[in-house]
Amino acid sequence: MIREPYSITIRELNDAGPDNIPEELVPASQLIYSSPATLAFNSPGATGFGVKRAGLAVPGSVMLLVAPGCCGRNTKLVSEIPGYEDRFFFLLMDESDIVNGDHLSRVPDAVAEIVEYLDEKPSVVMICGTCVDALLGTDWDRVCRKAEKAAGVPVRPCYMYALTREGRKPPMVLVRKAIYSLLEPAKRDPRTVSILGYFSSLTDDCELYALLRKAGIRKINEIARCGDYESYLGMSKANFNIVLNHEARTAADDLAGRLGIPYLELTRLYQIDKIASQYRAFAGSIGAEFDDSDYRKAAEDAVGRFREKHGNISIAVGEMLNANAFELSLALIKYGFNVPEIYSSISREDYVYIRHIAELSPETRVYTNLSPTMLHYDCSAARADLTLGKDAEYYHPDCPNVPWNEEKQPFGYTAVTSLFEKMTEALA
Amino acid sequence: MSVKGLHKIIYPFAPDQSGAASVLYELGGMIIICDAGGCAGNICGFDEPRWLQTKSAVFSAGLRDMDAILGRDDLMIEKIRKASEKLEAKFVAIIGTPVPATIATDYKALRRMAERRTGLPVITVDSNGALWYDSGIEKTYLECFRRFASVDAGNVIPGSVGVLGITPLDSDSLSSGEKICDFYSSRGAQKVVCYGAGSTVRDFAEAGRIERNIVAAVSGLKAARYLKERYGTPYECADPLIEEIRSSLPLGTEEISGKRILVIHQQIRANALREMLRNETSSSGAPAEITAASWFMMDDEISEEGDVRIREESDFFSLINDGCWDIVIADPSFRKAAGDFGGKFIDLPHFAVSGHFAGEGSVRFYT
Repeated sequence: MIREPYSITIRELNDAGPDNIPEELVPASQLIYSSPATLAFNSPGATGFGVKRAGLAVPGSVMLLVAPGCCGRNTKLVSEIPGYEDRFFFLLMDESDIVNGDHLSRVPDAVAEIVEYLDEKPSVVMICGTCVDALLGTDWDRVCRKAEKAAGVPVRPCYMYALTREGRKPPMVLVRKAIYSLLEPAKRDPRTVSILGYFSSLTDDCELYALLRKAGIRKINEIARCGDYESYLGMSKANFNIVLNHEARTAADDLAGRLGIPYLELTRLYQIDKIASQYRAFAGSIGAEFDDSDYRKAAEDAVGRFREKHGNISIAVGEMLNANAFELSLALIKYGFNVPEIYSSISREDYVYIRHIAELSPETRVYTNLSPTMLHYDCSAARADLTLGKDAEYYHPDCPNVPWNEEKQPFGYTAVTSLFEKMTEALA
Repeated sequence: MSVKGLHKIIYPFAPDQSGAASVLYELGGMIIICDAGGCAGNICGFDEPRWLQTKSAVFSAGLRDMDAILGRDDLMIEKIRKASEKLEAKFVAIIGTPVPATIATDYKALRRMAERRTGLPVITVDSNGALWYDSGIEKTYLECFRRFASVDAGNVIPGSVGVLGITPLDSDSLSSGEKICDFYSSRGAQKVVCYGAGSTVRDFAEAGRIERNIVAAVSGLKAARYLKERYGTPYECADPLIEEIRSSLPLGTEEISGKRILVIHQQIRANALREMLRNETSSSGAPAEITAASWFMMDDEISEEGDVRIREESDFFSLINDGCWDIVIADPSFRKAAGDFGGKFIDLPHFAVSGHFAGEGSVRFYT
């Protein structure tokens, strides 16, 4: 009987390579432990901006969840967040609906009843389908067309299909496509761009805004900053889209195809030198020049101050935070800190960072939040002076922690500066 | 006439798989939620307040679309076998969700396969996510007693009490089990077992040695009848915490005398409160007229004429607005749905409804 959580050194992980990721790290090959991070990773409606909350990103929208009662149960948590009250409706399936799909015939009348019930006509009714309809093979586009006719408002589907979590188009990809699906062709404005990828805005102090403005951009759209439906429709005028999260790529492709808006991708990074080179490449691609020196210096100073005060402390890094756990770990190691443990699921793409961590800190251990053996995790066996991520806090409850999972999204140099300020506060 | 199944205000209650997990949570087994992830997430992140305090081997089967479409039960059984080698589980429980309900999973076959591969006792609960928590508790109690209760129970333990229907979903706080133990101990009980709150597999195995059972929520009634038939154990329906509940309600006897009152909760608590308020007002000379109602199962044997089983949100609206009630006593999350109700609304929290205990904030990780 093994009474230890499964883990592997980053050196071993690197040696195995992306084609031979150990079975214990592959979600499909094992039962999934209900750790905090698992709830976010495995359950597309459970936490933060899951499908349900994300589906309501369009201003003035409401959602009808068509599902057995269980799928709507935790929606109460979302409804308690300001701005989400009175925006969720439920069409509950009974036992026979699960088998014969009779609930679908009630959707148009249900949408019409909701529209009549509301004081103001919604901009769109999002229909959220779940695993049952994934298995029944429901044609939601057809159901939505019928509902649209019955209710006289736009109706769009979004798919909370946890069953397709590791598929080609998982729920969080499709919901991003859904929320931009109402945009219609409009005359493009060369001084307008849209930022895609997150359901909340970037932090107000993010340098990306200032750099774009200096490059001549007058209007920067983000869905979370669209105060009303008209403003949301204005996203169609973008000269180009900036994709900050790869899960928005399908949405960006759709907008490129339907509206002719090209896009480019930027990655959230915590390695200052890589942030600089990404900005250089970005500026070059739009024919501009960025002077990012002040922002860069501020980030470098923040790291320097922290290092001076706390030395090479040990920082355990989780995945339930606004960063890629491996990229952030690599950055911390490059800045001179020790990263003894990383708690994260692994994808092929992470090997870009894993390779470098293996060179610099080969004994860093990687745990997966998904493994049933994490029941045995004992924080006393590992030393950490600080943890990053809410999941890491779960494993080291008595250690200072920076959750770093705020809704406003950190990006660029200001993300680095702000993170190190929070780390300083946590250790104060 | 509203569309069947449409809820415009009232959020869905705890589902049957949450009820099933709540009975099993502390028993030391491997609890496999036969789902894609969301149902396990709902149980741990919302319906199971013990999750943050007590580790339990609650796992998602991590089903993916092709597993369900191709019926790859063998793959799930292999996952269970591998996990059972790494954990000290006393048994395995496989709990159903909408996914196996849609593809008509054969639970008997699953149980046989899992027992063969793991060498552990296995129970299955065919919950489907479309029923409420009480159905899951009811099925799980029966499964546990059928699987674990000894055929030859041995001597009855004098002064022993078993309490059915006490999981956090029907409780007022995480300490309800302890309070109930104290309640019966202080009245002379030598041993008190709260099935679902602080109990063990051994307690289920020795169910036949219990002298009498108390059914504190209607979800435990079928199990009590089963134990009576199998071991001859007598039972009664009672809410041991009703005095504490009554004293927490901001209602003096003079305020309820002669009034029309509607109590909405699980049936046994609603009945117990009715009884208590009725006794109070009878002695005052102006008995209150009290009706019990519930969104959950109601048993005919303990119902009174006029009691109401609520099935649709529109039924709730009609019940509140057409009943000429002076006072409604119900979970606070029904306040909004009560709309223009002009009488007095008194909060009587029910975790399975609102996900909140009385007087406590959230007990969850994500808030």
